[in-house]
Amino acid sequence: MKHPEKSLSKDEALKKAKRIDQLRTYLPVVGLVVIFVLFIFLTNGKMIAPKNLILLLNQVYVVMIAAMGVFFIMTMGGLDFSQGSILGIASIVICLLSPYSIPLAIAGGIFAGACIGAINAYFHVRRKIASFIVTICTMFLFRGFIKYFASDSPVRASMNVYDFDHIEFKLTCTILIVLVGFLAFRFTPFGTYLKAIGAGERGAMFAGIRTDRMKFFIYTLAGALTGFAAFINIVKNGSATANVGNQLETQILIALVLGGMPISGGAKVRFGNIIVGSLLYYVLYSGLTMIGLTTQELQLVEGVIFLIFVAVFADRKALKVIK
Amino acid sequence: MSEIRLQVQHLCKSFGITKAVQDVSFNVNKGEVHALIGENGSGKSTLTNMLTGIYTIDSGKFILDGKEVHPRNQVEANNEGISIIVQELGTLSGLTVAENIFLGHEEQFISHGIKNTRAMNRRANELLKQYDFSHIRAEDQIDDYNFEDRKFIEIIKATYFSPKIVVIDETTTALSQEGREELYKHMDRIRAEGNSVIFISHDLAEVLERSDTVTIMRDGVYIDTVKSSDVTEDDLKRLMVGRAVTGNYYRTDYGEKVSDEVVLSAKGVSVPGLIEDVSFDLHKGEILGFGGLSESGMHEVGKAVFGASYDRTGEVVLADGTEIDSIPTAIDHSIAYTSKDRDNESLVLNQSIEDNITLPSLRDLAKGPLQFLRDSALSAFAEKYATQMSVKMQGIEQFVSDLSGGNKQKVVLARWIGKDSDILVLDSPTRGIDIKVKQDIYQLMDRMRKQNKSVIMISEELMELIGMCDRILIMKDGKINGELTRSQELDENALIAKMV
Repeated sequence: MKHPEKSLSKDEALKKAKRIDQLRTYLPVVGLVVIFVLFIFLTNGKMIAPKNLILLLNQVYVVMIAAMGVFFIMTMGGLDFSQGSILGIASIVICLLSPYSIPLAIAGGIFAGACIGAINAYFHVRRKIASFIVTICTMFLFRGFIKYFASDSPVRASMNVYDFDHIEFKLTCTILIVLVGFLAFRFTPFGTYLKAIGAGERGAMFAGIRTDRMKFFIYTLAGALTGFAAFINIVKNGSATANVGNQLETQILIALVLGGMPISGGAKVRFGNIIVGSLLYYVLYSGLTMIGLTTQELQLVEGVIFLIFVAVFADRKALKVIK
Repeated sequence: MSEIRLQVQHLCKSFGITKAVQDVSFNVNKGEVHALIGENGSGKSTLTNMLTGIYTIDSGKFILDGKEVHPRNQVEANNEGISIIVQELGTLSGLTVAENIFLGHEEQFISHGIKNTRAMNRRANELLKQYDFSHIRAEDQIDDYNFEDRKFIEIIKATYFSPKIVVIDETTTALSQEGREELYKHMDRIRAEGNSVIFISHDLAEVLERSDTVTIMRDGVYIDTVKSSDVTEDDLKRLMVGRAVTGNYYRTDYGEKVSDEVVLSAKGVSVPGLIEDVSFDLHKGEILGFGGLSESGMHEVGKAVFGASYDRTGEVVLADGTEIDSIPTAIDHSIAYTSKDRDNESLVLNQSIEDNITLPSLRDLAKGPLQFLRDSALSAFAEKYATQMSVKMQGIEQFVSDLSGGNKQKVVLARWIGKDSDILVLDSPTRGIDIKVKQDIYQLMDRMRKQNKSVIMISEELMELIGMCDRILIMKDGKINGELTRSQELDENALIAKMV
């Protein structure tokens, strides 16, 4: 009699664990739909006016592309606070190169981003400094450069960049990048390797994964992705001000956490976190703005929501030290 | 008729819906070493954790010298006269030796709110001298000492105040032979003083030799209490498993010729501070053993062969001349490795069984130039090898962190069998594992050997080296100090002679 009883109880325990996992998976999606519908009512339909939808999408592109790099980093259990400064530097490079040739400008932006990513990687991987410390340092360092270049007057791009300012181009680029990222993450060893590094780096190393090389590559890739996102940003704005990319890192972090990303990375990470999270963040942001919240109130609400989501999604078993 | 020291009465404990301990009752007498045995997950540690105040009791009670005790933490347990030496490290980094010994009991050195560090160190040094550990100094940081010395410090911490009951929870698995002797000495001393030891160990030979009484548990239930002098190892095995353990434990063949074909050779391998100028050949179909004290460098030999050592000099080459200098090269050339540090190095603990089994084989399973993986192929692969190793699990999506030690090791082995490795480097493959799984692992090694695969077994358990290996290399102070060949006459003393 003892044994069936025991296996039954184990089944129940497993079911309970599954329910929590399901909650983690579906809460962000359900939240997205609920909040979207809620704001449609609250704003008397203004939310789904075509003009506002395009505006909404316009904000999502940059964050979604840049968030993908950070998503990879966070999957490995790291953090990256330097994305805003990377976007700023890459934007300035793009503006400066745009009079010569647009492809050159794009390549320059990606290269600049990759370089800063590689600097992060060097100090984190080779010098073994925790990633959030390294990236906070580079965030301040490069913010300094941006202020130096763009404080007196914004760095203006050539008028040619406006040729790219149409929804087809921006949407196609974003979908393409996210799709390639998704396929690589979900259907090749790449994704499993990243998750293994996040779940247990030493174990991953002893299973034959070149962990250092992988980390170096991912930080550089994240920089390059943000470098490309900078082009989309310039296409929209036409110039780089001293505040370009300010707080992008926080927006990315909030977006990912809203999307259900466990803050310590590892096995429970889902690619959908990026897409749902970025959309959820901007629906919330636009919605709250439209119903007339001030910037201060907006930050307060953001903070509260952020805290709730971190509390729900943090995998406490894995939450020791973030690399 | 000896007097009763501790009565365990109708003790129960559940975790969620799992019943870890169910209605367990038995007595521990004064002046005895009382062994508590059972397979992994049988409830031994849960029981002692309740006694020492780490877990709360669901129902039932402990009666110590006629008085019910229910400590809420370890300090309270100590005050009641109960202490514990745990399996893994029980000392705290960043504190001095003396601070560790008197942790939670500093009040004896405090007057007017100020701690007298000098008096504390003086007292600790006295104890160290009294226990014959004079090479340890009370003022030093605990981190300056190795695992074994830190265990010695724990012995003092747990026994200096002459507690009535000392729990020793699988401490010996982590100790070398030398360290064990030291621990036995103190067990005998506690017994002589009329106090009692609850001794948890997987090593049945050790249990029979060192204890007076043995209590057996299975699946959280009390099975029996027997006198050590009345039973044999096989009796204990039968009581633990619930059926007779059939088949052979170790290999039974002797005098079989091992092939002359060399599959791997180490030439002058050194790792600064750990091993020095180690050279050996591994033959096809051979089980080559490495024995020694835990600090002898033998564990580093395994890492060096797997390309996982930092600053290694000398070379490890395969028969075809390929040099192994990194973990990926080793794996690509069919070398498998199970670490002594199973939870951190052999496995990715916070991942599923499926992920752990497929991890090294992902690139083989991927199709096409874009390296695409099919979910169905992955789960079929994991399912196949998990079943082959008979891993006890709810499903391959279960996290490895939920498994018992023996099942974790089976997952590790399933991974390498799935990779079809030809050279297996097994460091402490049966450490902390119950006999049923041990037997499975020995049989697996024997099968590997018969399939002409080669095995390096590094172990602190001398009996398994003698029972399984074609050749045993004994390490001492980072060097190879002797070679012994398989024979029926080989005994532990021959190995120990080369070890110390």
